[in-house]
Amino acid sequence: MTDGPLIVQSDKTLLLDIDHAMSTECRRAIAPFAELERSPEHIHTYRLTNLGLWNARAAGHDAEMVIDTLIKYSRYAVPHSILVDVAETMSRYGRLRLEADPIHGLILVTTDTAVLEEVIRAKKIAPLLGVRIDNETIAVHPSQRGQIKQSLLRLGWPAEDFAGYVDGQAHEIALKQTDWKIRPYQELAAEGFWHGGSGVVVLPCGAGKTIVGAAAMAHAKATTLILVTNTVAARQWREELLKRTTLNEDEIGEYSGAKKEIRPVTIATYQVMTKKKDGVYAHLDLFDTHDWGLIIYDEVHLLPAPIFRFTADIQSRRRLGLTATLVREDGMEGEVFSLIGPKRFDVPWKEIESQGYIAPAQCVEVRVNLSETERLSYATAEPEERYRFCATTRTKRNVVESLVAHHAGEQILVIGQYIDQLDELSEVLGVPLIKGETPVKEREVLFNKFRSGEISCLVVSKVANFSIDLPDATIAIQVSGAFGSRQEEAQRLGRILRPKSDGRSATFYSVVSRDTIDQDFAQNRQRFLAEQGYAYKIIDADDVFQGKL
Amino acid sequence: MQMRSFTDYLRSVDDAALLELFTHRADLISPVPSDMASLAVRACSAPSLARAIDGLNQWQFQVLEACAVINEPFSEKQIVAITEKAAVDVLPELIVRGLLYPSDDGMRLPNSVREVLGNEIAGLGPATMAKLNLKKLDEAPDSAKKVLERLIWGPPRGSVGDIKNPGPGVTWLLEENFMVPLDQRTVILPREVGIYLRGGKVHKEREVTPPEIKGSKRDDRNVQLAAIANVATVLRWADEILEYWAQEPADALRAGGLGVRDLKIIATHMGIDENCAAFIAELVYLAGLVTIDADDKILPTNNFDIWLTQKPSVRWQAIAAPWLITSRVSGLVGRAESKNTAALGPELDRVNAASTRALVLKLLAENKKIAPELESFTKHVKWCSPSKRNPGLQEEMVQWTLREAEWLGITGQGVISKYGQEFLSGEDLDIIDADLPQPVDHILIQSDNTAIAPGPLVHDVAAVLAIIGDIESRGGATVYRFTDATIRRGLDHGKTGDEIIDFLRKTSKTPIPQPLEYLISDVAKKHGRLRVGNTSSFIRCEDPALITQIISDKRLDILSLRRIAPEVMICDMDAHDVMNVLRNAGYLPAAESNNGLLLTGPRSSRAQSKPRPPRIIGELEVPTDAALSAAIRTIRVGEKSSHKQSTLRNIANNALGALPRTTANETLDVLLKYIQEQRSLSIGYADNNGAVSHRIIDPLKISAGSLIARDHGTGEMQTFRIPRITGVAPL
Repeated sequence: MTDGPLIVQSDKTLLLDIDHAMSTECRRAIAPFAELERSPEHIHTYRLTNLGLWNARAAGHDAEMVIDTLIKYSRYAVPHSILVDVAETMSRYGRLRLEADPIHGLILVTTDTAVLEEVIRAKKIAPLLGVRIDNETIAVHPSQRGQIKQSLLRLGWPAEDFAGYVDGQAHEIALKQTDWKIRPYQELAAEGFWHGGSGVVVLPCGAGKTIVGAAAMAHAKATTLILVTNTVAARQWREELLKRTTLNEDEIGEYSGAKKEIRPVTIATYQVMTKKKDGVYAHLDLFDTHDWGLIIYDEVHLLPAPIFRFTADIQSRRRLGLTATLVREDGMEGEVFSLIGPKRFDVPWKEIESQGYIAPAQCVEVRVNLSETERLSYATAEPEERYRFCATTRTKRNVVESLVAHHAGEQILVIGQYIDQLDELSEVLGVPLIKGETPVKEREVLFNKFRSGEISCLVVSKVANFSIDLPDATIAIQVSGAFGSRQEEAQRLGRILRPKSDGRSATFYSVVSRDTIDQDFAQNRQRFLAEQGYAYKIIDADDVFQGKL
Repeated sequence: MQMRSFTDYLRSVDDAALLELFTHRADLISPVPSDMASLAVRACSAPSLARAIDGLNQWQFQVLEACAVINEPFSEKQIVAITEKAAVDVLPELIVRGLLYPSDDGMRLPNSVREVLGNEIAGLGPATMAKLNLKKLDEAPDSAKKVLERLIWGPPRGSVGDIKNPGPGVTWLLEENFMVPLDQRTVILPREVGIYLRGGKVHKEREVTPPEIKGSKRDDRNVQLAAIANVATVLRWADEILEYWAQEPADALRAGGLGVRDLKIIATHMGIDENCAAFIAELVYLAGLVTIDADDKILPTNNFDIWLTQKPSVRWQAIAAPWLITSRVSGLVGRAESKNTAALGPELDRVNAASTRALVLKLLAENKKIAPELESFTKHVKWCSPSKRNPGLQEEMVQWTLREAEWLGITGQGVISKYGQEFLSGEDLDIIDADLPQPVDHILIQSDNTAIAPGPLVHDVAAVLAIIGDIESRGGATVYRFTDATIRRGLDHGKTGDEIIDFLRKTSKTPIPQPLEYLISDVAKKHGRLRVGNTSSFIRCEDPALITQIISDKRLDILSLRRIAPEVMICDMDAHDVMNVLRNAGYLPAAESNNGLLLTGPRSSRAQSKPRPPRIIGELEVPTDAALSAAIRTIRVGEKSSHKQSTLRNIANNALGALPRTTANETLDVLLKYIQEQRSLSIGYADNNGAVSHRIIDPLKISAGSLIARDHGTGEMQTFRIPRITGVAPL
């Protein structure tokens, strides 16, 4: 028995005692192969997953190094079965390799013919293969590179991709660090990505993912396609790139519903890419119009299915995914791994907070009681109407009013899901509302006013969930959401995490109806943030009314 | 005294030799035989010999085979010639085991050894009668050589299309008597020819020394660490399986044992594979920690409560010790070819299980520096104990034993651990207590409503946490998650919200996060608001005054009414009886149905079950003609056979009077003697119907419980079952 900071559990979770003297060292050692699952205040939970172990193999670590690390830092003896399993799993990676071949283009090569025999018999794989060249080699059509990687991963025989990347059309891009400096973790993230080839960088909201993208572009020095969630985000990217890099206005194009510019650096929205015209995706050609050297997927956790399919076809281009939370409620993390690439960088939110790069935040859940009549109507409501009913209860309005009054003078965002509710709130509070139908121009005007402090309160719908940069917002009040979505909660908190000029901390209120399905959803929504160490304080609506905050 | 038979040999040896014989063949003195003759008979019986031969290693076995293929009596030199020089050392070992004995004119094998060894010993055919000129074999035509090559290493039999018209090679061999026809289609290679072709030796490879055990070296520290982790894990598994069955008893199959479904359930619950789950289930079953109750529920026994309070070393000993000696093989559970073999079921016993297990562990202890590699290890085991009866199972047993030793922590990373060594040599296991992580008595509570016990928890704390939290992750540490459901469970177990908070405050090293405290008091506030209970009848009335009157009416005390609302009372008595009591007291109750309808009118009840009128017992029906004639036929046939039997019984009685009766042992002894002396004798022999007839026979040999002899009456060879021989007498 040693006195290490790590406890290896038999269910393949690793518990890291962060109050231990060796915890930082240990965290660095296990980060390459273990996935950070939860990082609350005392013990962080990592998990050994197949994906994580293959990630480590892809990054050049072998099973022996993983096992040595586990044994070295473990407080108790490591269960033998885990060690065997690690070795077993890691040995599966790389038995199959995808290589470029001068004659056949792309080939699948194996060191273990039995494995090759197994996979070529698989139903999903067989149609992707070409001629059998010899015992150990089989040709693959280059356009199936993504597909076959995806299918092989599902079979449990992930292929190591040696086929390389095309450089794309060269284009000079450099960071312009005149009045700012790239943060150490941003640099680490960009480098981690560049050495890995392709992959995903996970950083908290407000931690400056755009800069990571810009740094990656400066590494690639090639034409770049950037995919973002919506037009406002596209404009923000553009401004940020102009400010942080040597690119000038003519070099950056916007490809959205409004404009269709294709420039050396093009920013396109998911919406326009997945728009169907006569039943076909008319704009997916954008991927092919240019010899892109780098493709950046912003908010990769939202990547829609058609883009996945198309991404499968462009495996020879470098791909960078950016996100705050890799949790997908649809469980497509495996797709992200095989198509965009493995996770290259991840860091606990609280760590970045402690370095001062994101604002400290407090989360408060305000529980409101339904009135007697509301309780009766809730009890008899149709199941599909129930959430809407309890999420938009009148009592919430009073609470929001009190909260806004309490925080008068601060920059406040009121965020919700249901438009009627937001309309009503905007009227009662006497503040403007931004929703889906608000024109982009008007949105920008309002956001700018909010940034400059002309308006101190905004009511926003889910359009403001992502990528909207509102540095001085310190209070967010959430009244309703997309059911139990964990990543939405995280994104919304992210709206107020930009470091404040005066170092103030932010507060995130979630107003929830007690003893209803709203409360159950809230519990699920909060899970991700609670696991990141954001403790939700729970208070009653009465406390708000009495000003006890 | 002339010494030729095995009995004579046994009579001649000293006590030390007998002592050694009994140590090697314990079955010979269980029960203790009455005299040397019966000892000799038992020692020559096929089951006892088979057992003794099973105890030989491969080299001893090969020497014994060599002894069996040459003619008696033989000398040491002859054996060395057809084997190796090293055989000299083995012969005394065979003698000690009573598988070989010296007589006046050389060495001999006890009767039946050859039968036990089988028909074609070492793949050699029978000896030939003809005189052979073996030198001629060297000049055999090519066609004959080809045939010989096929038969040389056995089996010595070959089939030909037609014996009258075989190929040229076979024809030459038959002419030269190098091959003997067996029947219309089969030819056989005589033993002498076989040995000559094998270069004067009996076996192709004489395995004098065991094959080397290969394996990889391991760092000793890691071995011990891995082993102690295994010890901790197996104890936890045992704990978990028992706790699980205490909550959710599994149903035993009708044929006994744990069903596949229940096995899967516990395997998933513990996060281990089914083989391992079956192993753990068997361990706790063998240790008496679990039993199959009278109602076919699989439940932990009282021993479990005692077990829980014991030191880890004692607990480990309690589950490891029975495993060492059991004949049950948990590895058999769930194999494709034995789907129905269930853990805890009746079909897991295998004869050689314990001995193979002991041998594997002994070899592990002898090779304590390396983690043996399975293939060479299995080969070594096979050399030490060449299993004749079920070689496939033995191979699997080796694999399973290695696997199970690892699970138990007897080995760590495949190498025997110090705990395993102490355990196998019967030493004190205090080192286990010293090396296992010391229990902790505190937890760390975090804001995501989880609590982490950073080590094995002391029993009291673990027991409370198991109630108020769900275990999310197990291992060296335990992670508990609190939800409203688990807090409610705690409240159901009679704790109050404040008690739970106090307990957490006391055991947690970190402050309780506000959300958790809120959660607990929130659930506690709501707990018990909705209540459910059993009752037999209710009394309700729109007028609360009347209810009050009834409840204060002394005459109705017998009903022990309880008012649960201003307008409702409940009672444990049947509604019908309550109505009568109320009526007698002057009230006017009316009955109400389940759905609130007033039941009026006279009460007229109907049975719930189907009508089942009693059977009518009256006159018998007149049988049909066919039935009558069949009955007569049956009676006639029966009568005939019983007449025949009584006649036979008379004959038998006469015969028995004429024959001396001998006991089974005497019979065998005399038979063996007469076989050796090749003399005729008379026996009484019972036929299928129990009739004993008197036969004069020439005994030839005894094999597999039968005597093969020539019957003088018929002049034919006949097989007599030995238990049916009622007695023997010299002529």
